[in-house]
Amino acid sequence: MWHVIILVGIIFCAYQAVRDKRLLVSAIWLAGTSALVSIMMYLLGAYQIAVIELSVGSGLVTVLFVFAINIAGDEPIPNLSFIPKWLARIFTVAAIVLIGWQLLPLLNFPINLNQDAGFQQLVWENRKADLYLQVVMIFAGVISMLRLLTDEYQIRILHKEVQE
Amino acid sequence: MNISTSMVVLIAVIGLFGIGLYCLLITRNLIRVLVGLQIMVKGAMLVLVFAGQSQGQPSLGQSMALTVIVADTIVAVVGLALAVQVKRSVGTLDIADISKLKR
Amino acid sequence: MLQLEPLVLITIFVPWIGALIVWLVGDKHDKVQHLFSVVFSVTAAISSIAMLWVYKTGTVLSFSMGSTYGDFTFITDGLGLFLSIVATVIGTLAIIFSVDYMHGSAQLGRYYSFVLFFIGAMVGLVLTSNLLLMFIFWEITALCSYALISFYNDDPKAVAGGMKALIMTQVGGLGLLLAAALLFVYTGNFDINIFISNPTLLPINILAIMAFGMLIAAAAKSAQFPFHTWLPDAMEAPSPISALIHAATMVNAGVYLLARFYPAFKDVPGWTISVMVVGMLSALMAALMALVANDLKRVLAYSTVSQLGYMVYAVGAGGILASQFHLLSHSVFKALLFLAAGAVIHSVGTRDMREMGGLGKELPFTRTVFIIGSLALAGIPIFNGFWSKELILETGLEHGNPVWIYVVMLIVAGLTALYTTRCVWMVFYGEKKLERPIHPVGRNMKIALIPLAIGAFSTWILIEPFSKMMSSSLPVHLIQEVNLTELFNQVIFAPATWIALAIIALGIMIWFGRGALNGIKQILKPIAGMAEASFGFEKINKFIVGSTQDLGEGLRITQTGKLNWNVFYILVALVVVFAVLMIGA
Repeated sequence: MWHVIILVGIIFCAYQAVRDKRLLVSAIWLAGTSALVSIMMYLLGAYQIAVIELSVGSGLVTVLFVFAINIAGDEPIPNLSFIPKWLARIFTVAAIVLIGWQLLPLLNFPINLNQDAGFQQLVWENRKADLYLQVVMIFAGVISMLRLLTDEYQIRILHKEVQE
Repeated sequence: MNISTSMVVLIAVIGLFGIGLYCLLITRNLIRVLVGLQIMVKGAMLVLVFAGQSQGQPSLGQSMALTVIVADTIVAVVGLALAVQVKRSVGTLDIADISKLKR
Repeated sequence: MLQLEPLVLITIFVPWIGALIVWLVGDKHDKVQHLFSVVFSVTAAISSIAMLWVYKTGTVLSFSMGSTYGDFTFITDGLGLFLSIVATVIGTLAIIFSVDYMHGSAQLGRYYSFVLFFIGAMVGLVLTSNLLLMFIFWEITALCSYALISFYNDDPKAVAGGMKALIMTQVGGLGLLLAAALLFVYTGNFDINIFISNPTLLPINILAIMAFGMLIAAAAKSAQFPFHTWLPDAMEAPSPISALIHAATMVNAGVYLLARFYPAFKDVPGWTISVMVVGMLSALMAALMALVANDLKRVLAYSTVSQLGYMVYAVGAGGILASQFHLLSHSVFKALLFLAAGAVIHSVGTRDMREMGGLGKELPFTRTVFIIGSLALAGIPIFNGFWSKELILETGLEHGNPVWIYVVMLIVAGLTALYTTRCVWMVFYGEKKLERPIHPVGRNMKIALIPLAIGAFSTWILIEPFSKMMSSSLPVHLIQEVNLTELFNQVIFAPATWIALAIIALGIMIWFGRGALNGIKQILKPIAGMAEASFGFEKINKFIVGSTQDLGEGLRITQTGKLNWNVFYILVALVVVFAVLMIGA
């Protein structure tokens, strides 16, 4: 029963994140979606990932979004999209139906909660290359973000000096 | 009809995927594009965990989902930094105005 | 007591740390950047020479990547160690040269960090025994080469040269990746030494695919036939880069790959013959193209391709020691030639040899070192090129190799002497054609050139410790030790040497007697025309590039630049694929 309630919650939150006109409210609905997805993963038996997703997805990413929206400004943009809405709806529904059809054989898989090698050992030992790659990715992301944002910081300082 | 857990999870995945896709098709705001991307990636994460559980290798599915979380967070970080820069240099977040690379 | 493990780590990672630090220092403090780059590269050079005293066979360092991927291992045997010494020492000399050459240039941080990054990656490439890690380092060197060729990124020719180099070497890299993947699938790990010791682990057709994949990768990286057109266009890079990357280190990576995997592939039918033919064709075609080229650096580039052809031919003929010895000599004298050419170009301001002439009086030091380098290149006795080239030519006669290839290589030796003499004559002798003022060669440039000139005289004396190191640490390659007296006996008293010397002398005399040979010149003119058009390969390249660009122009209409439409097309493609899958299922 809980699964169905959380399913309804996920779909509702995601839809609201798309529909709402204000960006800040969208970001909050996204945080809600993250939290509900993490609860769903906990109910599936993946405890460690649920915790990580909760803190990263609905914590870190939401803070980033709020920060960026504050810097960039929340001006309304006319909502006439390039692709007519009916066309977008038809194609999305077609894609969903096709994917659903492909996933049909999986509908009655049992979920067994036996842990095999253990999450700890797998991540930290067996798949070390994955770990190093993730570290490299994080470094790359941090360095590129620093380069992208320092110019803006310096220009802000310059503007302040010009104003004074 | 007996609604099993698998069915619920798969409907959630398909729903997330479809809503994220719809958002990407419809929106004109650059930051909302990133919101749509995040929604789609959550669907991908969920299906990875589910696949791991149902095949009897839960930790493998979880470690792949971990990689996806890290990658997706980095994408969000760099994407938002780029969106902020676009706003500063072009003046607007409307994707109609940034459709030309050279200005 | 020196420990080996930290030395290996220092040699690879100190240049990388240096790259990061030089980039962070910023372009405002360029003197600090020059200083730091020199310090970091000298550290790496000292540490790699120090490894000579403590090297041992077997795995030195091993980083575990978990049981799924195997270990990243480092191994210091003779083949890798001498290449790492070459890379770091010539890298240091090139950086010292750049202090003067790039004086006052913009974006110095980018230049130095890529050079240091490259040095570290090259050392890593030769010191590793894990095929996947070797591929990673291979791609890093290709990236640094691209970034440095298009360093002057507002010059469209430089950018085009960089893109061409990148695309061609990446296509070759696919061959290496294929070989690595096949190795992993069939043996379960990436270790090279296990593979070389018993290549029969793999079925013979898979072994053949691996062998030819690696041949393609090596040919693309070392600019051999049919991938030889990227190296001359890469001469848009600054001269220290041409000396370091395109003469002494990166292009040797292909020869290194072939030499290291030779014991595994030598029994694959048709492989050794293909290697020898590839080397021969590159040597011949490049020598002909060097004869008619007018840009100083292009002549040197073609000469590099030709000498690499010699090395590849030697590997195919079974003479691993000869090819590596020639690699050592070639790195030294080619780096010397490129740096001296860089000094000339920096002083004179032009690269076209037809505008130079009579520069010997103005630049006496440069003329001396350039002549030393070109005598080594031509294979005149006493200089190191002579000894190694003769060793290669002799290996060609043993082991039952086809004699016609040997004859062609002999002719190419004569052609080498011919175009070298032409180049020296056109630059340094004759009447002076240039009206511009010539500024003198800087002190750092001279400091960098002197050790290389001394090396061109003397590296052949090191044959004994060199061969001992290689034979003791590479048990599977079956290398014999050679000491100095054996070298003298083999080289000086063999009739092959006298024939070769006669042909070289003939080549030099042809240049000086060129007035008298006008008749023959008219007959050979069509060949010269073909050589200038690089035997039709440029046409093929232009055709491929042109048709790709036309296709792109035609399809441009689908790129509206609006995100929604792009996602929409992706979605349509997805729906089509799914529909096809469903109908198929």
